[in-house]
Amino acid sequence: MAEPSAAVRTFDQEALPHLDALYRVALRLTGDSTQAEDLVQDTMLKAYRSWHQYRPGTNAKGWLLTILRNTFINDYRRRKLEPVAMDLEAVEPHAIYRAVEVDDPEGTFFSKIVDEKVTEAIDALPPDFREVLVLSDIEGMRYAEIAETIGVPVGTVKSRLFRARRLLQTALYAHAVEMGYIKPRER
Amino acid sequence: MTEKINCKEAADRLQDYLRQELTPELEEEMKAHIERCRPCFESAQFERNFLIMLETRAARECCPDKLRQRVLELLRAEARRG
Repeated sequence: MAEPSAAVRTFDQEALPHLDALYRVALRLTGDSTQAEDLVQDTMLKAYRSWHQYRPGTNAKGWLLTILRNTFINDYRRRKLEPVAMDLEAVEPHAIYRAVEVDDPEGTFFSKIVDEKVTEAIDALPPDFREVLVLSDIEGMRYAEIAETIGVPVGTVKSRLFRARRLLQTALYAHAVEMGYIKPRER
Repeated sequence: MTEKINCKEAADRLQDYLRQELTPELEEEMKAHIERCRPCFESAQFERNFLIMLETRAARECCPDKLRQRVLELLRAEARRG
C-alpha cells in the first residue's frame, strides 16, 4: 500500500484525536447511538473533503464541531420531532444549592446518581440549552468558541449555559430526592 | 483591605469565574471575596463539584472502536479516490 499523502497525515494528526468528543456531542444532539455514529461518519467525510479550508494549528475541535452541528441541523434534526417552542429565556429555575446547603452543601448527592440518569437528564434539556451545556461543561470549549460554533452572541451563550445548569441541577435533585439520596427540603 | 465586591456581585460572576472567563482583575476580586465569605465559598464549591461530576461522567463516553475503524476505512477509501 502506498504511503498516505501529507494531507492525509495532517488530517489524521489533527482531526482523529477529536473522535471521542465528536461522538459524545453527536450522542447528545441526536439522542441515539445509531444516528450519532452516522453523524460522526458524515462529519469526518465532510471535514476530510474540506480539509484544505482548515488552517493548521487553529482550533480543529471547534472546526469539526461546527461541521458536525451544521450537518446535524441540515440532515438530522428534521428526523426528530422538535419540542414545542417555549419562552426559554423566561425560565428562571431556582438554585438547587439553596435546597441542599444545610444537608449536603458539597453536593455529594450528585455522585450517587448513576451515569445513565445523568445523560438522560442532559438529553431531556431543551435542545438550545443542551447544546451549550455539552460544548461548555463537557467538551470544555470557551464562550467565544461556542458563540462562533453555534452562531449566537457570547451573552446568549452565557445565559443559556446558566439556565441549562439550573435546569439540569433541578432535574438531578428531583431524581436524588425520589431515590432517597437526599432528604427533600423542608418548606 | 476593603472588599471590592459584595455577595450579589460574586453570585453574578460565579459562572464566569468557574469557567475561567473573568479578566485577571475581576478574578482577583472574586478570589478575595470567596476567601473571606463562607456562604459564597460554599456555593462556589457546590457548583464546582457539580461541574467536576459532569466532566468525569462525560469522559467515560468514548467513540466505539468499530466506529473509529469505519471512519478510518471511509477516509482511506476517500483518499484513494483522490
